[in-house]
Amino acid sequence: MAWIAERRRQSRFEAVVLPHLDAGYALARWLTRNDADAADVVQEACLRALRYFDSYHDGDAKSWLLKIVRRTSYDWLERNRPSEVVPLELDSDSNGSVHSPPAGSTDADALLESRSDLRRLDVLIEHLPPPLREAIVLRELQELDYRQIAEVTGVPIGTVMSRLHRARAALRQAWDGKGCR
Amino acid sequence: MRCDEVHPRLDAYLDNELAEPERTGLRDHVESCPDCGPEAAALERLRDEIRNFAPVYRAPDELRSRIRFALRREASASASAAVPRAPGWLAYAASIMLAVAVGSGGTFLLLGDRQTDAIGAEIIDSHLRSLLGTHLTDVASSDQHTVKPWFAGRTDLSPPAVDLRMEGFPLVGGRLDLIAGKPVPALVYKRREHVINLFVLPASPTDHGETLTRRGYNLRHWDEGDLGFWAVTDAAPTELAEFERLYRATTKG
Repeated sequence: MAWIAERRRQSRFEAVVLPHLDAGYALARWLTRNDADAADVVQEACLRALRYFDSYHDGDAKSWLLKIVRRTSYDWLERNRPSEVVPLELDSDSNGSVHSPPAGSTDADALLESRSDLRRLDVLIEHLPPPLREAIVLRELQELDYRQIAEVTGVPIGTVMSRLHRARAALRQAWDGKGCR
Repeated sequence: MRCDEVHPRLDAYLDNELAEPERTGLRDHVESCPDCGPEAAALERLRDEIRNFAPVYRAPDELRSRIRFALRREASASASAAVPRAPGWLAYAASIMLAVAVGSGGTFLLLGDRQTDAIGAEIIDSHLRSLLGTHLTDVASSDQHTVKPWFAGRTDLSPPAVDLRMEGFPLVGGRLDLIAGKPVPALVYKRREHVINLFVLPASPTDHGETLTRRGYNLRHWDEGDLGFWAVTDAAPTELAEFERLYRATTKG
């Protein structure tokens, strides 16, 4: 009978989690900046979520999944691209300027400089430091409120507010600075 | 309100995160202030630009089925770990079926080959799981040109997916299942209200032309070329034999 219980649990899991797969994929895509990597992260996150499913208590399923996807994304980045990981807790050390691309991508750097699409918003968002990037993505593209963003990213609401403020200031600066409006 | 009080709260104001007295205070200020007004407008413009022009990423279909499959494998791994400890209702059901089978002249056979026996048991488990859950089919279609290509890339085994609707066995779709830890295609047919799962594995040396009855389910196994077919159902043994005959005749031609 144990496998019947397991099967029921899995069906419930799929009903709770799979509707938010697009949201999870979008967050992973913004954090990894790559389609294939985002897919790997989301798959791993779903398996983790299945294992932690007993800790889910009929709450906000989207936030719950996004929290796991976010954690999985950073674990994945730490394993595969350690140079990109910015210490999340050190809020004060990221002054809100748009970071240059990670070390090892100087070619990409040069390419970007020479291309007009440096002004494109998605490129600018991708170059925000991860704590600011995830805040802006969760707010503007997933339309989460501050409480949900705080839940997903594991920081107080005040920090969410200041990260959003800094993210927007950085985006406007980079955007206006390049003469686009 | 002074500008230096308003400025740090502009984001929260535009994000609709301020409680009422403060919100009205900010709105009044923003509407009248020559500095904060344009500042708020610029922030709104940025927000609109992001929402309208940033790429919208969606999980590809391929990822969806990959995840479904990985989840199922995970669940069946923990489930099969649990099976040996499962309470005895299956044995109980089997003993009833044995009694019924013996009483009715006996189609209940014991298999000598332990490996075949294990696969047969697993196939019946998978059949049961497919009936209980929400995933009888991954691809629901009676069109062989939809079902067969769906398996390509998901498994090495490519079964002929013929619709036997005219013969009374309509094809309802296909599913990826797990037998002996390997992904295998399962074709799903119906016989009136009964489901027939046709699992396709690599051919094995043992071939059984008899209908085996396990836990009340009927199982037939035959090989065709390098594919081994395992058909399982709760429809009558004669109907399952008829299904095998039709399927083999149609796929040969």
